[in-house]
Amino acid sequence: MRSLSNFKFDSPHLLLFLCALSTAFIIAFFIGFIFYTAFPILEKEGFGFITGTTWSYSAHEYGIWLFIVGTLVMTAVTMVLAGPLSIFTAIFLAEFAPVWLTRVMRPMIELLVGIPSVIYGIFGLFVLENIFQHHIDPFLDATLGFIPIFRDTTPNSGTGILLASTVLAVMVLPTITVLSEEAIRAVPDEYKAASFALGATKCETIKKIVIPTASSGILTAVVLGMMRAMGETMAVVMLIGNTAKVPSSILDTGYAMTSKILNDIGYYVAMDEPKSSLFGIAAVLFLLEILFVGIIRIVRVRGGGGK
Amino acid sequence: MRDMRWRKAEEKLLIAVSAMMAGITSLLLLAIIGKIAFEAFPSLTLYFLTTPEVDTPGLGQGIANAIVGTVYLSLLSVLLAIPLAIGTAIYLKKYAKDTIITRSFRFMIDVLSGTPSIVLGIFGLLFLVYYMKVVTGGFSLIAGAIALAILILPVIERASEEAIDAVPGEVEEASYALGATKWDTIRRITIPYSLSGIITGVILGIGRAAEESAVVILTAGYTQFLPSYEILPREGMLFGMKIYPFQDLVATLPISVYHTFEHSHIVPIANGFAAAFVLIIIVMLVNMLAKIVIWRGKIG
Repeated sequence: MRSLSNFKFDSPHLLLFLCALSTAFIIAFFIGFIFYTAFPILEKEGFGFITGTTWSYSAHEYGIWLFIVGTLVMTAVTMVLAGPLSIFTAIFLAEFAPVWLTRVMRPMIELLVGIPSVIYGIFGLFVLENIFQHHIDPFLDATLGFIPIFRDTTPNSGTGILLASTVLAVMVLPTITVLSEEAIRAVPDEYKAASFALGATKCETIKKIVIPTASSGILTAVVLGMMRAMGETMAVVMLIGNTAKVPSSILDTGYAMTSKILNDIGYYVAMDEPKSSLFGIAAVLFLLEILFVGIIRIVRVRGGGGK
Repeated sequence: MRDMRWRKAEEKLLIAVSAMMAGITSLLLLAIIGKIAFEAFPSLTLYFLTTPEVDTPGLGQGIANAIVGTVYLSLLSVLLAIPLAIGTAIYLKKYAKDTIITRSFRFMIDVLSGTPSIVLGIFGLLFLVYYMKVVTGGFSLIAGAIALAILILPVIERASEEAIDAVPGEVEEASYALGATKWDTIRRITIPYSLSGIITGVILGIGRAAEESAVVILTAGYTQFLPSYEILPREGMLFGMKIYPFQDLVATLPISVYHTFEHSHIVPIANGFAAAFVLIIIVMLVNMLAKIVIWRGKIG
């Protein structure tokens, strides 16, 4: 009997193997389904699907360049806003804050992770939109308006790239802060002690020892934040303005890839070509995301190998 | 060697900047939660919380249907995800060898965990709601739960893998030394030891499912009614019957919140914020539960 129960494929082994196999099957089916449905339009439009600037169901022309630009500009502005804020907060929490303050702030920041995105959406729309239209947009236009990207092209509304990015920045802030803080805390104390022993100040130690050592962790945090910003749907659809054009300034409106899918899929899910083209956007989003996951993997391996 | 005064000043500057950023971060937090609570307060009545929308005049005057629906949907999706996620985690940690296949499998799980929810949403809409209509009944609790189960599968799987990693190797080796088989060791040592970590993952999964909106709106739909519990004959469905509430539409809080945007002239904004506030409280309670489990696991 013993030899039987030690047999390579006993029944629990088989059962667990089946669990893993079904998981693999589900993921493969999901990814395959997206690309399979998107395939006809990718085949028809070719590279023009990415570079085309016309999206028209009646003219059967599908190019998503404007949506890609919308998503990229929005993500970039988000990272400019959220990056410094969250990394400095992480440095403060890990290196300077007294223990009691960290104990108060950490749960608060973690709580922010738990706020559903749709709530950020209505918060941005009903609370921030007004403030942006009447105060922030005119102010930016008046002070920095000589630089084209700060010009207020839509004085009658507060929605636009900047509003969407501000809300997204608040959304990704906790992710980046918590993960960066963990990375900074993981730097061995001996490294810091050695730096202090050489006479370096705390600031110099942080700049030259702590940040470089934690850089792979911080970079992972930033990339994860970017992924979250790019993939966000509900908040963005309410805030970005949904006009298909290349935004001329960060106060201008735009259209993100996720918003295009959400706005149109309900009407076109039963029609082959439009359906395929909307899945095409999803496929491009998916590819971008796979790219980011790949980057994180490489960064992690590098960071791990460097230690 | 730079001037000492400059070095001191640089240090002060860094402290000031990072403290300021931390201050802004906390202020943002307080402002958001405070503003939502403030806006929500006038609408948070017992009537609003305990009446399904169908029994109220107009739109968005009651959210009992959405509260019940959110609880059902998140629990059902977690129930679907648990066996696959935990089974996969144990298999990967204890049985699988490190080959190119398992490595690409892990990569796929990573990809799944970062999938934009809209991508999963349209998958659910086309495959679960449209193609599988005979089985799921179109927009329904079960279609939503399956889509959400795929969404939270990596959350639970990762947490379980981490929990299994944290089991001390000596304890497992001691079990083998006593002559226990691999499965006996897993069942009696590994799983009990990692249980609090696994439960934490499951609870986080519940929270993730409760807050999701893009997937839910494309798979579960919305209804003004409370779930009903019956089996009615229905032509065109599998076995010619429709099983309530599983194959029926279900309401959820994120969608109630979304309605404030969609029907912004009809639904009072305060009611949207009230639904949002209730949703935040639910997600907060779920996350707190996870913290308590971690904390007890550390002590026990």
